[in-house]
Amino acid sequence: MSNHVIEWLNAYFDGELQGYRLHQVEAHLAGCEACRAELESLGKLSGLLHEVPLPDFPSPERFASQINLLLPQKRTPPPRRSLFEVGWWMIPVGIMAVWVFVSTALLLSNVVSVADSFGLLGTTTSSWISSPAETADLTAVLGGFGVLGGDSLQWAERTESLTRSMVPQFVLQVSVAVLYLAWFATWLARHTRQPREGLIEG
Amino acid sequence: MVTVQAVSEAKLIISSQSGDRSAFSELVRLHTRGVFNVVYRMCGDALIAEDATQETFIRAWQNLSSYRPQTSLRNWLYRIAFNAGMDMLRKEKRILPTDIEDLQLKDDQPSPESLASQNERTALVQKAILSLPDASRAVLVLKEYEGMSYREIAEALDIPLGTVMSRLNYARKLLKEKLEPKLFVSMEVEHV
Ligand SMILES: [Zn+2]
Repeated sequence: MSNHVIEWLNAYFDGELQGYRLHQVEAHLAGCEACRAELESLGKLSGLLHEVPLPDFPSPERFASQINLLLPQKRTPPPRRSLFEVGWWMIPVGIMAVWVFVSTALLLSNVVSVADSFGLLGTTTSSWISSPAETADLTAVLGGFGVLGGDSLQWAERTESLTRSMVPQFVLQVSVAVLYLAWFATWLARHTRQPREGLIEG
Repeated sequence: MVTVQAVSEAKLIISSQSGDRSAFSELVRLHTRGVFNVVYRMCGDALIAEDATQETFIRAWQNLSSYRPQTSLRNWLYRIAFNAGMDMLRKEKRILPTDIEDLQLKDDQPSPESLASQNERTALVQKAILSLPDASRAVLVLKEYEGMSYREIAEALDIPLGTVMSRLNYARKLLKEKLEPKLFVSMEVEHV
């Protein structure tokens, strides 16, 4: 037996070996004086370590009540916390709701102004405002659109009105995206930066 | 029997997490002794150990929301305890950079006087433990004094299993070198 099992002796001593490795170490120990001596010294060392006594310690009950008095009031009670959580999750919902509302309003006013530029207002505007879901009117307007599309002056006018309505819409989309991303970044930071005790360094 | 204890501890943890101080006091009562022992073995000073034990539970209270039940509460507390203990030691600077060689027996043959002195013997062992690097000492303490398995130690210190083994081997190797004369002494005492 030339290959000693020194590296596995600690694990063997601590009862952590199983299967093949356990048999290997046992078989080696049976025939190797040096490794047996090494194993014996581990036992002696352990005995020596246990000679160091523990000091007196206040009773757990007394200690627990002492600590209770020292606990900071920092922890927030649960109801407020859950209210905060609800509020927190209402932020993205609110952003989306505002976005849907404003872009619907912009779309409607856009269509109205385009229709206006083609002189189609008259009765349709009032009917849209009173009932925006009337798709029959919309198709009528779009149909009129195609018919009147040839005139260059009206084209220019239409383009201008489009840009006028496109710019605020673009600004709205960007600011909604920024708000939403800011919320998401905060959420991500809150979840990754959870307090955690550091590790023992080696 | 383990499950009954575990279930009641889990309940106490949930109550504590929602701010119930008396539930937390119960957890303190259950784990104080273990935390104190571990910190004392780690720093060798009863007063520091007591302060560190207090600090451990205060930190635990403040960070209870980050506790995950996949880890045993004891292991989680021990991890906090080691850090609290090391912080206290650094602050107090009461740990001596262990001039263990001064205390070590110079002769191969121990004198009868030194054999007689049990106090000197434990002081020497204590110093040898304290002279270990923090990381190895932590593994040794959990193994020798808490009887924890390698897997439990790995969890408590958040290190790989292989690192547990290598640090433990290293700690014991250093201790045997430092305490070799003492090991001989105890052997001879037994044989005489
Ligand atoms: Zn061998």
